Amino acid sequence: MNKIIGIIFLLMNFTDFDVKSDQFITRQGQVSFFSYTSVENIEAKNNQVLSIIDFSKNEIAVSMLMNAFVFKKSLMHEHFNESYIESDLYPKATFEGSILDFDPLATETQTKIIKGELTIHGITKEIEIKTTIENNNGTYLLNGDFELIVKDFDIKIPPILAPNIAKIISVKFRFEYQPYEK
Amino acid sequence: MNRKNKIVLFLLGLFIVASLYVYFGIYYHSYIDIEKVSAEVEISSGELTSFFILNEKSANSIYRGKVIEVEGIVKEVTFLNNRNTVLLQGDTKYSSVICDMRSNQIEEIKKLKQGQKIKIKGVCKGFLKDAILLNCMLINKKSNE
Repeated sequence: MNKIIGIIFLLMNFTDFDVKSDQFITRQGQVSFFSYTSVENIEAKNNQVLSIIDFSKNEIAVSMLMNAFVFKKSLMHEHFNESYIESDLYPKATFEGSILDFDPLATETQTKIIKGELTIHGITKEIEIKTTIENNNGTYLLNGDFELIVKDFDIKIPPILAPNIAKIISVKFRFEYQPYEK
Repeated sequence: MNRKNKIVLFLLGLFIVASLYVYFGIYYHSYIDIEKVSAEVEISSGELTSFFILNEKSANSIYRGKVIEVEGIVKEVTFLNNRNTVLLQGDTKYSSVICDMRSNQIEEIKKLKQGQKIKIKGVCKGFLKDAILLNCMLINKKSNE
């Protein structure tokens, strides 16, 4: 059985060989989020975010492990994973979308809208994200920030901790893409 | 009166010390101290990635959240976003083991060369296109010379 799965994977790898020429990848993208309240500020960073852009279709996909967010205090990390995000049940957050009217050949920095679906904690939301795109000799840098409403993702925060966690979380990202090597 | 004040002061002092202890002891309780914890599993970087690719769920149940020791060949060393990262070769060139190194490892990492065989200990977080290890440190460094 395992052999068959292996063969299927091999075939999948071979079949999309030709398509990959317009693909760019980052395995070490950075996503950070901030919660500012009068009680405390919480900040977490994930430096191992995976993202692939396909410039032939201007599509972008992002995937990250929720338990790879690093907090200043381990208790925050524990609450985040065990109580709020439930990373055992929902280990990944993903985004799939398209960059609207993007020109991959332009050399100046462009500001574009990415429209797509974001999935966190098993809940999918349609969102629009503004991003700057820099083209540095065939590598691309995407930079931007946006806001998320905690309630939208069915994240339950106990009343006693409600003052510690902002209702709206700001999220920042920085992705440096390299050509996807074949 | 004087004595009562002393008792009140003493209790107050005790309360402050206790709350400081609780605050720093529990609230600032640090992440796993990787140097003191021994690895639960030893595996090569190639085996680790192939295991995740074949069956992510069962690989997660074995490795996720555990301190593991991975032996592999250095594919790349990067300092992107102020992180010190060592990538170990996976079973195919599409996949690798991403090791986010502790900041005290920087001098050792700078000496690493591509193709060198090394052992790294870290906390396995799971798999995307690559296996991800955080809080990593080099152990028992071997050179290919």
